[in-house]
Amino acid sequence: MSDEADRLITAALRDHARIPAPPRLHAKLARRYLAPRRPWLVASVSALGGALAAAAIVLLLVHSPRPAIDPANEAVGDHLRMLIGRGLGVEVSDMHQVKPWFAGKLDFVPPITFLGDDDFPLAGGDVAVFLGHKAAQLVYHRRLHVISLFVFQGEVPDGDRTIEGFHVVMWSRDGFGFALVSDVNFDDLHTLHAKLQ
Amino acid sequence: MSLFSLRGRRPPLAVVPDTPAPQPTLAESALEHVDALYSLAMHLTGNASDAEDLVQTTFARALAGAAQFQEGSNVRAWLFRILRNGFIDLARRKKIVLEIPDDTHDARSAETASLEQLRYITASEVGRAIATLPVEYRLVVLLEVEGFSEAEIADIAHCAPGTVKSRLSRAKVKLRAALQETR
Repeated sequence: MSDEADRLITAALRDHARIPAPPRLHAKLARRYLAPRRPWLVASVSALGGALAAAAIVLLLVHSPRPAIDPANEAVGDHLRMLIGRGLGVEVSDMHQVKPWFAGKLDFVPPITFLGDDDFPLAGGDVAVFLGHKAAQLVYHRRLHVISLFVFQGEVPDGDRTIEGFHVVMWSRDGFGFALVSDVNFDDLHTLHAKLQ
Repeated sequence: MSLFSLRGRRPPLAVVPDTPAPQPTLAESALEHVDALYSLAMHLTGNASDAEDLVQTTFARALAGAAQFQEGSNVRAWLFRILRNGFIDLARRKKIVLEIPDDTHDARSAETASLEQLRYITASEVGRAIATLPVEYRLVVLLEVEGFSEAEIADIAHCAPGTVKSRLSRAKVKLRAALQETR
């Protein structure tokens, strides 16, 4: 193989091979290994008495900020896991077959009516975990590229992001959060975004 | 008044003992490499659940065996070595094929992506192409992506540096063929 081909493949691997860990794994490891329980602390807390401890715990739960999870990063990580993983839960090209597949797997009906077309054929769907919520993952194709749409109950900040070469378009509507992610250009993502409205 | 006498009148400087910044603990150092470890685990196992388990097992083994870690040695290489060993255990349990098939000639004779195509590879194509590699090839390629030298890769992969060189070369030939197929 020529040096140039070797260089281009090495560059492509450096640019695209890395898959970020999901935020929940970061949080889990940090909780386990950065906050060891100290015997003196446990004894002190026990001595405070039940009511005081319970009140303190409630206050902590209410006021402790959750570990910051970047929704765009999570979208890219989940999209990559689908690309590397073993396919979709349901692989069909008709939303009328995809939506019923989600019944019983999600506690909401994904508010999506776009069935796919020649430019963005629907490939299928799956259940994902997005920002700690069960989410619907719908997969569309654009030429030979793959686009994931995550739909979940909650909100995400509106806007466009680029992470590790992937473009992410996020928006919220009627209590649902949406994230489109792919390596297609932003124009294509915005076109699909408009069709999903 | 001479300059020397002026200097002589200055109050003596207080001697503040050097207080070095606290060194990060082994756990803190290890946690900086979660993304890199997960990325390798994901490419080796092919699914998020096994990858997360493998990274967690790596941390458990590393921090349980912290006493064996020699201060000043490379934490990152040490973690990757543990992850690779953990993956070998997992592969044996799940009967994942680790042997490298002797199909180098097939890869060399296969149609390969042109230089022009290589300039416009997308992340999904890279992911699919890596998945076609035998796991030992995946390992060396991804360790190179993480910036390890051939000697370090040899240490992590338990093989000779010459083997690393030949695996890297063959892996890239196969990747080029796979990139043509995945387009």
